[in-house]
Formats: sequence, structure tokens, C-alpha cells
Amino acid sequence: MDTLNELIGGFAAAMTWQNLIFAFLGCLLGTIIGVLPGIGPVAGVALLIPLTMNLDATGAIIMLCAIFYGTAYGGTITSVLLNTPGEAASAITTIDGYAMTKIGKAGAALTIAAVGSFVGGTIATVGLVAAAKPLGEMGLLVGPPEFFALMVVGISLLVALAGKSMVKAVMSGALGLLISMVGIDPVAGAPRFTFGSDNLLDGVSFVAVIVGVFGLSEILSYRKDSATSVVHAPGLRSLLPNRSEWRRSAPSMARGTGIGFGLGLIPGMTGSVSSLLAYVAEKKFSKHRNELGHGAIEGVAGPETANNAHANAALIPLFTLGIPASPTIAVLMGAFLQQGLVPGPTLFTEHSEVAWAIIASLFIGNLLLLLLNVPLVGLWTSILRVPAPILTALILLFMVIGAYTINFNVFDVFVMIGFGLLGLALRYLDIPLAPMVLTLVLGPLMERSLRESLEISQGDFGVFLNRPIAAVLIGVGVLIVLSPLLKLRKPKALIEDPET
Amino acid sequence: MPRTRIAATAFAAAALIALTACGSNAGVSGSAGGDFPKKGKSIELIVSFSSGGAVDTAARLVQPILEKELGTNVEVVNKPGAGGQIGYTQLTSAKPDGYTIGATGSPSVVVSPLDPARGAKYTRSSFQPLGRQVIDPTVIAVQPDSPYKTLKELLDAAKAKPKSMTASTTGLQTGEHFALAQIQEDTGAEFAPVHFSEGASQATTAFLGRHVDILVANVSDVTDLSKQGKARVLGVMSAERAPSLPDVPTFKESGYDLEAGTVRGYSAPAGLPDAVAKKLEAALQKAIEDPAVVQKMKDLGLQTSYMSAADYAKFWAGQEEDFKKVLPMVQKKD
Repeated sequence: MDTLNELIGGFAAAMTWQNLIFAFLGCLLGTIIGVLPGIGPVAGVALLIPLTMNLDATGAIIMLCAIFYGTAYGGTITSVLLNTPGEAASAITTIDGYAMTKIGKAGAALTIAAVGSFVGGTIATVGLVAAAKPLGEMGLLVGPPEFFALMVVGISLLVALAGKSMVKAVMSGALGLLISMVGIDPVAGAPRFTFGSDNLLDGVSFVAVIVGVFGLSEILSYRKDSATSVVHAPGLRSLLPNRSEWRRSAPSMARGTGIGFGLGLIPGMTGSVSSLLAYVAEKKFSKHRNELGHGAIEGVAGPETANNAHANAALIPLFTLGIPASPTIAVLMGAFLQQGLVPGPTLFTEHSEVAWAIIASLFIGNLLLLLLNVPLVGLWTSILRVPAPILTALILLFMVIGAYTINFNVFDVFVMIGFGLLGLALRYLDIPLAPMVLTLVLGPLMERSLRESLEISQGDFGVFLNRPIAAVLIGVGVLIVLSPLLKLRKPKALIEDPET
Repeated sequence: MPRTRIAATAFAAAALIALTACGSNAGVSGSAGGDFPKKGKSIELIVSFSSGGAVDTAARLVQPILEKELGTNVEVVNKPGAGGQIGYTQLTSAKPDGYTIGATGSPSVVVSPLDPARGAKYTRSSFQPLGRQVIDPTVIAVQPDSPYKTLKELLDAAKAKPKSMTASTTGLQTGEHFALAQIQEDTGAEFAPVHFSEGASQATTAFLGRHVDILVANVSDVTDLSKQGKARVLGVMSAERAPSLPDVPTFKESGYDLEAGTVRGYSAPAGLPDAVAKKLEAALQKAIEDPAVVQKMKDLGLQTSYMSAADYAKFWAGQEEDFKKVLPMVQKKD
């Protein structure tokens, strides 16, 4: 009850008209910044921090949280409409989001993405209010060995992405792991596969790779006579999802919330892991899994919900332990610090009013984003009325600028083009692209946790088997890998699943 | 009043968007006396670590005052990665005209060129130190229910059974790793280091989850944890007790003459014209010693410890000598 009272107090503090305007401005600016190519939530929030410097603490944090939501949604808009993800976490949305755009359902995809973000974010925030402390402590149970075991489960899900040929999927996955190795060895500090180039010291930029592999290679594969190159502008009626799309989205949103919330609690997990695994979960469990890759609403609803649930759940370790669980949260934490607020449990004892006002503003921010963006869907999708040849050129331009603005480095543009060619080659060889993206995201996290685990155990691999959580997770991973063998008798039609 | 604030915010927002769009910095007013900095030409402050960290926060705190002092825009740019090496490479390869400066932290900036395996393209002489801002001493902490109540008990136990306890670092050859090496060399107490290359927050998480036994960190990382009773800090590796941890004895008080810590300051690429260097140094001193900045740093558990450009350069050279001695102990052997 106390909690409820304090939350109501928080709403009272947050709902002054100035704060609402700050929240609104933040959502709007964030969305615009997010739509600009290459600027994801981390850069977006960092860029707009100076705006909030002169506000009081509550107003500043409210505005920043709103900016944070806005940038995340802005990245989704470009993923769906232009096949160019603004940030890593919405990369996987491009697969079905852009496919929906091509069949004239861009409006539905954007609306569902906004609703999914709202649902995931709001449920995660309820979790923050109801059980922040135990949830925060639960996240601590995941040490490096458990983290590694979780990554094993993630990688094992590759079998769900296999499509026609398991061998090709494994090849694609191995390629992703190889690419994830490029750069300075995170532990020993020695450069790997950098060929003496400074530009490769930090590895290849994930967003540049994604834009190249999915976006550019798709454009390159257009042929003059090909029907795939035509993008249909949606009519007014298709701006909103139809009833069946709503119904199909609900279970995906539920799964996405679960995945995003659970992974968000774990410090060190990134939002892109959540959205990727949510997509893979759709691929494995959705009733319409065969349509995924061809413009299925589940492929948008799941990852987008997971992404936002993750982002909000990641605030739990920040509030309970003072630990920034992801890079974006770290930026937010920086802003807290500049306002003289030290995030952590002491925030609730020393600045309780501000803490609750921030939590209330998370709810408000989520709602505002929904209210702001659903009416704007029509505006965003009208870009598709641009004639196809010009639009394609525009998308190309967007991709180049997007790759450049990641680090303001021309090298990333070449990375993008190189991976576009690689993606094209893989398409011709009929090798699925999604497994590569999965391992590219999970690879570095897996490597890091493996090495930390072995340092903890001083070289003993038993550390993964004599810790119960880790052992169970490894077991799950093994089962998933073996599952196609158990399903061999299934009708062929169900297994066949052409991947993009 | 609120209305003007909102109007100002809206205006700033519009201006910012315009800036993002065209990448220029028109309309910045200033009182530039002399040639540097040219009106409207902004200065880039490279932070070689990600945003939100201690280095970044400190840089963003001094930034507004630097702008005021220099009369032009100062943009904090994060170039994280490879333990600072990427940003440092960028800083040292910039033109020494004063329009690019950077935050430099040791041991990272001192050590990365010493180890040939890292292939750094800069050395100490590639930097022109401008001023030191802060010293963040290393601390050693155990779990709150640990049987070890004093530093001596802990180190004796680690000496009796080497590598029986794991200790966190924020990566190979970081301040924490060097501190462990110094402890080992001086006292014979050996811990098994676990390198959390993602940084202090990952190390702290693992400690809180009891996945590592000992937390080796900076004063600023443990101030809050110690207040909450989640970590028992046994010793500070500085000459005097840390103001934010008044009850924790220094290593010297416990009988070990050891000091270690992270040191942060600002530098430019070597070869600045004298007048420019003077101007930057003076502005930085103003910003670092600004009472509001000092107070905010203190809130974070960071003690401001300003040093002029010349002293910082001398200090840097001294650190290089110290680190060279223990370097073989922190190099990856496998």
C-alpha cells in the first residue's frame, strides 16, 4: 500500500504541465533524432542531455526518459519503412517489418510496434514498482557461468532459424562468430584479424553490418523485372492493423514481454539480444511461424515488445543496485549523476520524491509515445508514396549516411558496402542471413562470459555443470539442438521454411 | 519563469536539431581575445570511454565552464573501445591546433604504449598534458560476511593459500590489475584475478552476486556500496584516508607502503603552439577548480586533485617508471 501511495505521489509530482510538456518534447525530439540515420538511443540521449541541464532534476530526468523511448521508436520507423535500422535492437525488425512494407502493410507494422512497445514497457515498469528489490537480486544470481550458459541457449536456437538446410545455417552462424572476433581481444588486449588497421581495432560496427547484410543486399538483388522491388504505399484503411493482426500479435507481445523483461534484469545483457531472441522465439513457437520472413506481424510484435520491455526492466538493476545494465542506461545514469542524484537504493531513501516521480514519468512516457506515434503513422508512411526508383535511391542515401554517422567514420560506409556484397552472395547461395546476425550479437557476450567463468574457476570447465542454474541452462541448450532430430517424423511442409 | 524556461528549451532544441542537420556551429558568441579559439569554431573533447562512466561524467561537468572560459563550443565526443586505445589514437593523430583535446586516464594511457603486444601507435611523447583533475585511489573490499576483518588478515590468508580467492579487475593491465600486482610483489599475497573488461559495473555486479570474492575498485565505485553495507572495504591505497570513506584505513596505516589508483586529466596532441597551450591550461584549471564542479565530483566520491600541465607531465613520467617495473606481472602469459 505504501508503494501505491508513493507512486500516486510520484504521479502528482510528475504530472505538472511543465513536466508533461518536457515529456512530450522529449518524445517528439527523440523520435526525430531516432529517425535520423545512424543515431540510436545511446547517441540520441547523449546528444540531448545538454538540453536538460538547466531543468530541475525531475523535469530533466523525465525529459531524458522520454527522449530515450522516442529514439528507440524512431529507430523502428526506419527499420520498417526503409529497411535501415537506426539501432542494433531494432535490426531484426527489418526482416518482417520491411517485408510488411513491401506488401502495403507498413501502417499496421508501425502501429503494432508502438502498441507492443507500450505493452512491454508498461508491464516492465509495473514489475519495477511491484518487485524491484527481489527482481534486482534475481538478476545477481546470473554470474559469468550462468551468463555463458544463457548464451549457449541463445546460440542453440540457431536450429530454429535453419530453414531448409541445417548445414547452411551452421555455416552462416560460424561466419557470424568469426566476424564477431574481429577487433581487440577483450581480455588479453591483442588485436585480432585487424590486418594492422586502426579502424578494425574495435571490431566491425554491428549496425553497419546489419544495414549491409539485410538492407543493401536486398536492394542489390532487385532486378528490373522483379516484383519484389516495388513497395506499395498503404491505403488509408491499411494504416491500422486489422482484427486478425491484432489477435496474432497478442501472444507474440506476451512472449516478447517475458523475454525482454527476463533478460533486461541481467546486467550486461543488451537490448539487441532480447529482440533477436524474441524473433527466434516467434520463429520456433508462433502459430504462423512459416510466414515469418515474408511480412508476418509476429516478426514485428515480438522483437519490438521485447526491446522495450528490456529497456524498462534494465532500469531495475539501476534503481536497486546502482548498476547501469546497458549502454543506454549508462547514459541515463550519467545524466542522473550530473543532476546530483546517485542511482541505487539510496535514491529511494534520500530523494524518494524524485525517484517516484521518475517511475511515474516512465508510465507517462510510454503512454505519450503511443499517443504521439499512432496518429503520426500516416505521416511516416506517406514517405512510401515517393516513386519507387527515387525511394530506392533515397534508401541508399539513408544507408550511407546511417553507416557514416555511427562513428563519423567513412570506414563504416565501406563495411556496410562490403557486407552488402557478402549478403548478396549469401542470398545467391541460399544461405540464411539470420543465424549470422544471431551469432554476431551473441558471440562477444559469449566469449567474454566464458573467459570470466574460466578465470573464476581457474581453468576448470566443471564450473558450468556444478552450478545448478548454469547446468540446467546448458541442458536446455542441448535439448534444443537435439530437437530437430526428435521431430523428424513431422510432415515436411511444416519444417520447410524459406528464410530470407 | 517556467514559461521562459520552456521557451528556452524549445529554442535550444530547435537549434540543436539544426546543428545536427548541418553540422556547423554558427551563432556561437564568444569573447575570443587573440587568435585561439576562433569564434564559432568548436573544440572537440575526446573521451576514450563510453558515456556515463566516471571519465565521461567528469568531462561533461567541466565542459560548460570550458565553454565559458574559451568563448566557444566544446563538444564532448565519446570514442570508447580497446581500453581507451581507440580514443587515444584518435587524439594523438589529430592536428595539434588546440581544437582537439582529450581526457587522459592512467594507467590506460600510460600502459597501452608500453606493451608491444597492443600495437599502440602513440607513446607518452605523443601527448601534451594540460592538467590533472582527479585521483581515484584503489580500494580492496570483501563480502560483508567475510571472515576477514582487517587488511592484514586478508593478505595473510592470500599469502598462505595463493590464488585461493578470486579478485575482480576491470580488465587486463587496468589500475586494479596493477594494484593486485603491486600487492603481490610487496606482500606475497596472491589473488586469482578475474578480468571484467566491460568495466567497473560488471565487476561490481559479479561481486554483489558473490561470483567473485574480492572487489578491487576505485573509491568512487564503492562509496555507495559501503554505505549500504554491501561491501566491507578493508583498505585504501592512498597516502591519506579518502574523505568519502573516513573509517577505512590506508594501506600504509595497515603496514603496507603501497599506493595505487586511477588518475584522470586532460591532454592535447603534442606540439601545441605555446599561446594555445597556455590558454587551454588556464581554462581547464578554472573549470576543474570551479567550486560547483568540485562539489559534484565530491558527491560522486571523487576527490579533485588539480595539477598544472608541467606537474602532470612529470607525474605521468613517474607513473611510467613505476608501471614498467610490474608490467611483466600483468602481461598475459598464455
